[in-house]
Amino acid sequence: MTDTISFSQEVSNLLYAAEGEPLRTCIQCGTCSGTCPVAGYMDYTPRQIIALINAGNKEQVLESNTFWYCASCYHCTVRCPQKINITELMYALKRYSIWKGQHKEGLIGPTFSEAFVKMIVRGGRSFEPVLAPSYIFSLNLREMLQEVTNATELLLKGRLPVLPARIKRIDSFKRMIGRIIPMGGLE
Amino acid sequence: MTKRLLMIDDDPDFVAGIKSILDAAGFEVEVTYNPKDGLNALQTKQYDLLLLDIMMGRGAEGIMIARKLRKDAKLREMPVLIITGMREQIAFLFPGEPVHPRFVEVDELVEKPVEPKLLIEKVNSLIQTAEARKAGKK
Repeated sequence: MTDTISFSQEVSNLLYAAEGEPLRTCIQCGTCSGTCPVAGYMDYTPRQIIALINAGNKEQVLESNTFWYCASCYHCTVRCPQKINITELMYALKRYSIWKGQHKEGLIGPTFSEAFVKMIVRGGRSFEPVLAPSYIFSLNLREMLQEVTNATELLLKGRLPVLPARIKRIDSFKRMIGRIIPMGGLE
Repeated sequence: MTKRLLMIDDDPDFVAGIKSILDAAGFEVEVTYNPKDGLNALQTKQYDLLLLDIMMGRGAEGIMIARKLRKDAKLREMPVLIITGMREQIAFLFPGEPVHPRFVEVDELVEKPVEPKLLIEKVNSLIQTAEARKAGKK
């Protein structure tokens, strides 16, 4: 047994259902980056992220916005010739950066995830008006107005609930969640 | 006789720190960095105590391990010391509230960061009570 493990092993340990180190099999073909619909907005493309992980550049990876911009469309995973689950890798990096409490400043992703998880755990259903404050203040005035007009239109068409939906047997649901996420104050 | 401990934790820096503390105190520490290897090691070798992390892999996999141990007739007697940074890792959920004390039956729960003195104290007391329990049964 080696004394310490590399960053790439550490990340591989976070991957769901991964045997060994799938990232080491990457041939840097760039299919993932070419396929990715949001690659244009990322600091590093998915291919570069895999290369950085294999090179052990932990700080650079955690400081990038790549995994927070991932839209989870799974196109990279489908097309990867080495069958690396790249979307799962992005999720793993999100978990990792949250657990370490280390991410790039000024990103919507972490606060948005926080608001979303809290909302689901408390109410069991998604309710958009609660989510809005987590990102709306980082927009500029025009985008914000656009967002507000959209919401109003949806509201008038009956597409946006005014009150959050309630699920039946919320206590059972909370108990179920409590078995998966060991958090304080529940049950 | 030196006591053999197994540590399952995915954070290499933290493991290095704890391992050096326990090594200095005269324990024999083995480390696995993921839950899968950890379970394998548990089933194939004999240990006196398990040091367990909670947040690993997909989420709270440490808890899955603890639950499996409690169902296993052979491993049920083994003392488990949970060392977790869980409050910090999911504190964004419910800040300030206590970490759930009874989400799984374990012997002790210590939160990261750990005081070396406290850690060794807890490890010693856990091993002693486990041995006393064993001797009482025989």
